[in-house]
Amino acid sequence: MIFKHLEELYSYRNLIWQLAWSEFKLRYKYSMLGYFWSLLEPLLMLIVLYVVFSHLMKIPVEHYQLFLFVGIILWGFLSRATNFGVSSIVGKAGIVKKIYFPRDILVISSCITALLMSIFESLVFIMFMIFYKIPISINLAYAPLILLSLCIISLGLSLALSALNVFYRDVQFIWQVILQVGFYITPILYTLDIFPKDLQKFILLNPIARIIISARNTIIYSSPARMEDLLFMLISSIIFLLVGYIIFFRLEPKFAEEI
Amino acid sequence: MAAIKAEHLHKTFRIPHEKRTTIFETLAGAFKPPMYENFHALKDINFTVEEGEALGIIGDNGSGKSTLLKIIAKILRPSSGSVTALKKLTPFLELGVGFQMDLTAVENVKIYATIMGMKKREINDKLDSIIEFAGLEKFKDTKLKNFSSGMQVRLAFSTAIQTEPEILLMDEVLAVGDMEFQQKCLSVLEQYRKGGITIIFVSHDLSYVRRFCDRTLLLNHGIQVALGKTNEVIDKYVYGKQDEIIVGVENADLENDSDLFQDDKIVVDNTRRGDQKIEIKNVEFYDKFGNLSSRFNSFDQMTIRIFYCAYEKIFDPIFGIALYSEKGENLFGTNTELKNVVIDSIEGKGYIDLQIKSISMLSGRFLLTVGIDSLTHHPYDWHDKKYYFDVISTSRDAGIFDVPCKWVI
Repeated sequence: MIFKHLEELYSYRNLIWQLAWSEFKLRYKYSMLGYFWSLLEPLLMLIVLYVVFSHLMKIPVEHYQLFLFVGIILWGFLSRATNFGVSSIVGKAGIVKKIYFPRDILVISSCITALLMSIFESLVFIMFMIFYKIPISINLAYAPLILLSLCIISLGLSLALSALNVFYRDVQFIWQVILQVGFYITPILYTLDIFPKDLQKFILLNPIARIIISARNTIIYSSPARMEDLLFMLISSIIFLLVGYIIFFRLEPKFAEEI
Repeated sequence: MAAIKAEHLHKTFRIPHEKRTTIFETLAGAFKPPMYENFHALKDINFTVEEGEALGIIGDNGSGKSTLLKIIAKILRPSSGSVTALKKLTPFLELGVGFQMDLTAVENVKIYATIMGMKKREINDKLDSIIEFAGLEKFKDTKLKNFSSGMQVRLAFSTAIQTEPEILLMDEVLAVGDMEFQQKCLSVLEQYRKGGITIIFVSHDLSYVRRFCDRTLLLNHGIQVALGKTNEVIDKYVYGKQDEIIVGVENADLENDSDLFQDDKIVVDNTRRGDQKIEIKNVEFYDKFGNLSSRFNSFDQMTIRIFYCAYEKIFDPIFGIALYSEKGENLFGTNTELKNVVIDSIEGKGYIDLQIKSISMLSGRFLLTVGIDSLTHHPYDWHDKKYYFDVISTSRDAGIFDVPCKWVI
């Protein structure tokens, strides 16, 4: 069944791409400087957070601006993908009610839109890397695996959220709050070391925390990712995707009626 | 070979009395079990559509036509039973699904064509001809929001017809657009039919169904009433409503009094006059099969039967009728005197028939006034616009009534 569904998705690959790409263009087309503005947002956030937290942090962090930037981009992707995802079915009611294609296409393409936007932001990050002369090491090879698990977790969350949002329209607002809290309990602004050991363990239950830490280590600090973190990430991403799909497909038959 | 097979299809909608759309409402009402109304939209539908065949689906509003079409198109799931389509389905349930107002014509064509299941290569090949067919070459890089609705429909239509359907599902697409657009739709449909494409066609317009469909399925309140040759099923639809006639005529009183006659500023009491030495007891309409009916196909035969009761012996009564449009315009009137029919005397109960060889009205609701006068034009009983019947068009001419004519060059 899974194989058959993948085959169907593959036959719709062009639709997935068309939907993702047109949405991407729509996000920026409102202004002439659209692409520029979209870069400005994370940059401004970076500057503000940097100015404030570089003074607040007791332990000095090497390359704190890059340290922050990785966190902002990765968390930004998660929050954007799930935000697009949560309204991806409800926002396309006109399509859902009038034509059939596998409904998860809408969620997948909204995640791809978010990915395109994040890749675009990463170009600035790469310029930062070059500017600060960060050496490139073999450990960068871990990065794709780490980023992949972030994508899968985002997709799994989006699937569950988009389906739930069809039936309970306040899911999107509740999710906003959860994201807000998540931003502060994930080591984006700070290093894990500021907490006592047992609290660290608790924070590391969050797979996003491990993803951001490992991404920093491999990308900025040229150190390898820990095996334990990698395993935790991969297993949790599979669980997220599975649970996401189970919720999605349980609710999916009623979409056209409820929307 | 069957292209579509529907077996024991049921569809039930659960309609909650109070809809809970948020988690908050659901939690707040956790101890109050939600009340549901079950609405049986489709009951045990069975049919097969052979390859290359055109099946029409007809029925009144709310009879389940669109629900059925949506189930075939896989948009809705049946509550039980199954539909299997052995070929690729192309639904024309609405034109321009997924159009984005902020994208250009070309971008929208690409998205829409992709949604309709076209391959990337096909789209690139046909892009120019799509734009050209829609007559929008000058505006191909204009954002859709700057298009008129007519231009949008044209763009959607010319994209949609580029898909090469194997099974075409069509739902009232023809209803939008002007005459020219409808003609375009029809010629495309004609082409598809000649090309041997399987078509399922839902429409209110019986003339289209008669023209395009080999077989027709008649739905009434979700029940499959008839399935068979189009002409027979349409007859059944138009004439097969005995149950509702009696109700219909009784309702006519209320409807006429309240809706129609207030507009005309006629006081309710004026709808009946006369000394009632003869009373009109009832008026019934009979179709070409001799069955009671209130709906007729244009050009068919029809009989109006007036039941009377004369309480004393009346000499030389004159029976008359007058037909009105729904707006109250007098369309036609006649009586026995004008037709040189002499009735010496009547007493007691009886009836008189007015036989209409061919109904020349095309479509609409028609109101009937029935009266009995004396030779001196003193009314015995007069029911003003108390009765009505509906005529359903089977031709594609426009207007209220038919003028027999032909074109000569």
